[in-house]
Order: sequence, then C-alpha cells, then structure tokens
Amino acid sequence: MAQMKWSHVIALPVLATVSAPVSATEYLSVADAQRVLIPQAQNFVPFTVTLSPAQLAQIKKMSGVPQHNAQPKIWRAMNGKATIGWIIVDEVIGKHEFITYATAISPDGHVLGVEIMSYRESKGGQVRDPKWRNVFRGKSVQDQFKLNKDVPNISGATLSCRNITDGVKRLLVLHALALGRQS
Amino acid sequence: MRWRLVGKAELITRCRPYLGTFVEISVPDRHANAIEPAFATIAHVQQCMSFHAPDSDLARLRDAPAGVPVAVDRNTVAVLRVARELYDRSDGLFDVTIGRELVRDGFLPRVSALHLGRYTGCAVDIEIIDDQNVCCHRPMLIDLGGIAKGYAVDRAVEVLIAHQVDEGLVNAGGDLRIFGERVWPIALRDADDQIRWTIDLPSCALASSANLQDRRRSRGRMRTPHIGEGREAVASSQRTSVIADRCIIADAMTKIAMASPALAVPLLNAYGAQLLADPDEGMM
Repeated sequence: MAQMKWSHVIALPVLATVSAPVSATEYLSVADAQRVLIPQAQNFVPFTVTLSPAQLAQIKKMSGVPQHNAQPKIWRAMNGKATIGWIIVDEVIGKHEFITYATAISPDGHVLGVEIMSYRESKGGQVRDPKWRNVFRGKSVQDQFKLNKDVPNISGATLSCRNITDGVKRLLVLHALALGRQS
Repeated sequence: MRWRLVGKAELITRCRPYLGTFVEISVPDRHANAIEPAFATIAHVQQCMSFHAPDSDLARLRDAPAGVPVAVDRNTVAVLRVARELYDRSDGLFDVTIGRELVRDGFLPRVSALHLGRYTGCAVDIEIIDDQNVCCHRPMLIDLGGIAKGYAVDRAVEVLIAHQVDEGLVNAGGDLRIFGERVWPIALRDADDQIRWTIDLPSCALASSANLQDRRRSRGRMRTPHIGEGREAVASSQRTSVIADRCIIADAMTKIAMASPALAVPLLNAYGAQLLADPDEGMM
C-alpha cells in the first residue's frame, strides 16, 4: 500500500455537514436474496402458511422473541421435486432501525445463510441544511456522487445486530413448528 | 444495493450480520463473485475470536489450564501479537484481558461456569509461542472486541485484492477500510447517534468508537464497554475516530485515544495513524 496515501486528505477541509439523516439502504431484492442464499435451487415457490395462536405462543416461548406476523413470507427452494431449503423474509425493529433480512434454512433446520436486504433508520426532525460543502478536489459531493437516498457508509459506535440474531432464532423455531414436516 | 459514481463502475454492496454487527462489502459489480469469499473470511475470524461461541479459540484459551500451550488459528495469533505489542507500547492501557470487567458489568455473557475472581491474568501473561500456539500463564478472559473487527476488515480486503478486485470498501459496524483509487464519502455517526459530518476518504482505514449510548449502572458506578487506566470504565461523551493504513490499528487506537488522549498521540504517530477531529476543533 502507498505509504500514508490518505495523509494529504487530513490537511484539507474535507468534512462536510450532512444533508439529511441516513434513511435507507437497499442491498438485495427478494429474488436476489433467494439466489444468493440458495444458489443451487432451480426455483423458489411461495409457501403460504397461517400460524395459529398456539404456534405464535410456542414460538415466543421457545425463542424468547414474539413472532408478530402470523403469515410470514416464505419460499420453498426447489430442485426438481425436492425441497432443498426454505427462504424466510422477515423484519426486525431496533431502537432506530427497521431491517428486512432473508434467512435460508435447510430442510433439517440449520441456518444456511442470512442476508440483510434493507436497512432503514428513522430519525425524524434532524434534517439539516441540505447544502453540501465538500470541496475535496474542487468538486461537491453531488457532482461526483449520485445519491438519491444517503451516504451508505457510516463510521461510528458499533451497532449491535442482536435483533437479527434473535430474529433468526425465532425463525428456526418457526421452521421447526410449521415447516419441518413440509420438507 | 447498486449505486454509481459518475464516470465510474457501478458498485454492488452486500450486508451480513457478523462480529455482532452489520458488515458491508462494496465492490464494482463485475467483481461481485469476490464478495462471498470475503464474507467467508470474516465468518472465519468470527468463529475463531468469538467470546460467546463455546468452540472458539478464546473459549479454548479460557478453558485451558494456565501455563499449558493451546493450538489456535493463525488469525488468532496474528491478532494477539498486535494486542501484545499495543499492550507493551501503551504501558498496559490496551489490554485484551478485559473480559473479566465486561462480563462483570454485563457487556459480555456469563459463558459456562465462570468464577470471575479466578481470571486475574493480563496481557503480559500471554505468551505467543509460534504462529499457531499461545500460552496464557495465568487464567484470563480475553475479549478481542476492541481489535478483531478491524482485523477482520483487513483480512476481507486482502481476500478481495487477491481476487483481483481493484477497488472497494469493507465496513464492519463502523470500522472500515477503503482500497483502490476511488474516493468514498463516509458519514460519521456521533456519540449521540446523530450524523453531522461526512468525510471523503481515499485508500485508508477508519475506525470509530463511542459509548454514550452504551452504558450501564452497576454497583453504584457508571459502566461502559471501554476499559482504561486502572481497569476502570472510560465514559466519553464524544465519538473517537482514528485513520490508519490498517483497520486493526485504527480499531485498537480508538480505544487508546478514548481512554488517554495524551498517551495516544505519540503512539498514533508511531503507527502513522491520526485522530480525526471535527472541523471546529481543528485537526489534531
């Protein structure tokens, strides 16, 4: 790596006030998430299930987290006539954030993968002056950066992914209760 | 996610929950196939260095009797080497054996049947035998939360470069590294969770730490996940951000700079790293 390539940047007034609170980052569509998580599947068939009140209560009891949606978004990953896995698209809500994520679960109930599909932060009332004052290389950020939402990369105190970890635990119980026997 | 810089290649960004946080990898979309191996490396670092997982290297180090060499992954040795070096160069301020304090204060779980009083060792008691063997000469609870994310980012960048990726960004919950010719706008999340500033960064690593939103009261005292001099919790109302060439250094230095700015300045200079201040405070 070029030695201290960044050091000249520090001397420049590169910091700029931000135009708006970070709002949303979209990573993957449902179709993309399915393909990324179970690439060997030939197709993904929507699977409709309505969880009974007893099942919802059981999920909360076994995972420690309430399952709010009685009709979760589920796809069966198929290879010919065989079910090779399940994709569940779920949402969790944190202190400020709303996260949509996809979990792939094997027919025997193991996590095959987790992908964040979108990350949205709700921070009302903090919209600041929309002028960017970035003068790095004589260009404004808007010139070189086509942003319709916000800056996607953030550095700050580490955000916990605990709500995703809990969500995946809950989906594993959901699989065991409602999908395991369908495989 | 796809987005385009005018006149530049379209980028693809993926995000997965690893290392207790959200890890984003951005590369030009023609290199999308390199994302999976980069994530796999991060998953491997997580597996080796997780405090929670019962089969991690850290679990085996805390379970082994004191004075007995333990075979661990090369990556774990690499991180412990840097941790030992930083311990020595910071007069013991940077100490990865703070697991005892973090468990006591509720920032880490009470794994297995822990009797915290047993774990009296500090980083000086860690002996690196060779690239795959480590010996803890006293019982200790090692937590690599202050350094492993930066290391994982560095490893992921190495994997991307090995896959001929010419530019990209890996961001593990705010500890990030940029490589290639592109200049990236990075937003800085302040300690109060507000984003007030962005900075345009070329190839470098940037890490930030804050604990204003991560505090507990325990035994009548304020506790934070950052442990400083005298193994006391460090409470800072500010975000601390450090730029370096390697993310492991940037990550670890935020902890040292937060605990003791006076100690940090010469150490930052020694590593060619720099504290990033807000513009109205001037650049340090």
